[in-house]
Amino acid sequence: MMKFLRLSLAVTIDSFFESSRNRFFTIFSVFACAAIYASLLAGIMAVDQEARVITDFGLALIELVTLAYTLFYSSSVLLREAETKTIYLVFSRPVPRGVYLAGKLAGIMLTAAVMLAGMGIIHAALLALRGFRPPQFYVWALAGSFLKLAVITAIAFLVSLFSTSAVSTMVISGILWTAGHFASEVRFMTEHSTGAAAWALRPALWLIPNFQLFNARDAAGAIGVLPAAAFTAAAAWTLAAYLCSLWLISRKEF
Amino acid sequence: MLRRSGPYLVAAALLAWCAGGALSGASYVSRFPPPSEIHVPAQGAAGDMFALAFGARRLFADLWFIRLMQYYGTSEFCAKQLTEEDYERCEEGMYFGKGKYLEFFSRARHVMELDPGFASAGLYAATSLAFNMERPEEAEELLRYAIKYSPREWKYLTLLAAIGYSKAQDPAAVASAITPLLGDPDCPVMVKQLAAFLNKKVGNYPAAAAIYADIAATSRDAAYVANARRELKKISKRISHR
Repeated sequence: MMKFLRLSLAVTIDSFFESSRNRFFTIFSVFACAAIYASLLAGIMAVDQEARVITDFGLALIELVTLAYTLFYSSSVLLREAETKTIYLVFSRPVPRGVYLAGKLAGIMLTAAVMLAGMGIIHAALLALRGFRPPQFYVWALAGSFLKLAVITAIAFLVSLFSTSAVSTMVISGILWTAGHFASEVRFMTEHSTGAAAWALRPALWLIPNFQLFNARDAAGAIGVLPAAAFTAAAAWTLAAYLCSLWLISRKEF
Repeated sequence: MLRRSGPYLVAAALLAWCAGGALSGASYVSRFPPPSEIHVPAQGAAGDMFALAFGARRLFADLWFIRLMQYYGTSEFCAKQLTEEDYERCEEGMYFGKGKYLEFFSRARHVMELDPGFASAGLYAATSLAFNMERPEEAEELLRYAIKYSPREWKYLTLLAAIGYSKAQDPAAVASAITPLLGDPDCPVMVKQLAAFLNKKVGNYPAAAAIYADIAATSRDAAYVANARRELKKISKRISHR
């Protein structure tokens, strides 16, 4: 068990440094800083609501930029490693496929966490520069974004194992991302539909991960903290996607 | 070995996925209005789709609120052809906040549809409707809609009570009713201004001066700050003449 953990940690660290060396990481980081700075300008238009606008703009941008990067990386990493034959080198050593997959996934999640934390610090510094404190729910909002990103990264990994290109993986994952935010609307439609429409909509409630559960950013006014169920549900969905990926990768001839 | 355990992996994955779905279903209750209640202005449909699809209701409520302030900040009287005397009055701020602003209610309601917990926007819009545009019925409707989805928001209830007193032509009661709002960080400067004005109107100068001093010290709106400083001077003169 300890051996597997050590191997997984090695793959995680390798994956993290590989992704942070990627030139897209720099591009996204520069874009994020510029976008967060632009949120300051938008905030000025809101006069007395400047703090709220800067906070909301910044948090949304941080999440979207991290999403774009993690989706891009998780959609292409397995395909690229198969194309460059790197994966053959890894599997020629005593590295189980499950450990490799877990390490890659953890590496991307670590990258996402570092990006969220880094941009969060920059954003908080910009808020302080304008004389505001980050609101109480700030850390919860970032934690919620991380949970969403963990689930979508695991799903993107799974999709990349059966899709033909990185672009199609990103498109499918992007559709799931938006559908996940519509979960409460789907539930509303299911409750107000009858007959065949209700039967057709009901499975969607189970199939689509509810990203609104993690959306502490939008729920700030009401609760501001993530319920324990959010962490458990994120873990369950990530595990499910990982197990499916493991099944698919076990069927591949590497 | 991994290949042979394929069916078990799939079964475990399905179980885990369903567990996630069940947890989410049991613990998540939407506090937002359902889609059937979102009346999107035609030019904002794409933005609203984005707000829902990316879980950014709060951000788009902010944008709609900025648009609402810009709409209300554009003087209806000045834009039209007026006599020279009217124009001078307009420039002096005589018609500040006055006008029909026919889209005001629908725009304000749209902010509440996206984020009913946006108390500052709700208070700003309801105060403008009730006290500046003299449309208390619309203000009450807006606040009732916001309370429906934010039932714990005491500030909406407080303003609703103040609007009730204003209908009964009781400025002292209105000023007293909105006093608890003034210390709240969500209290829009417009509500503070209203409280100061009403206190001045009923002769409670120390209370009015305290509110104007607070506006001058805390607001980021230059127009309100300038007005508060002007009023503070007037009040101090009035008190010293007594």
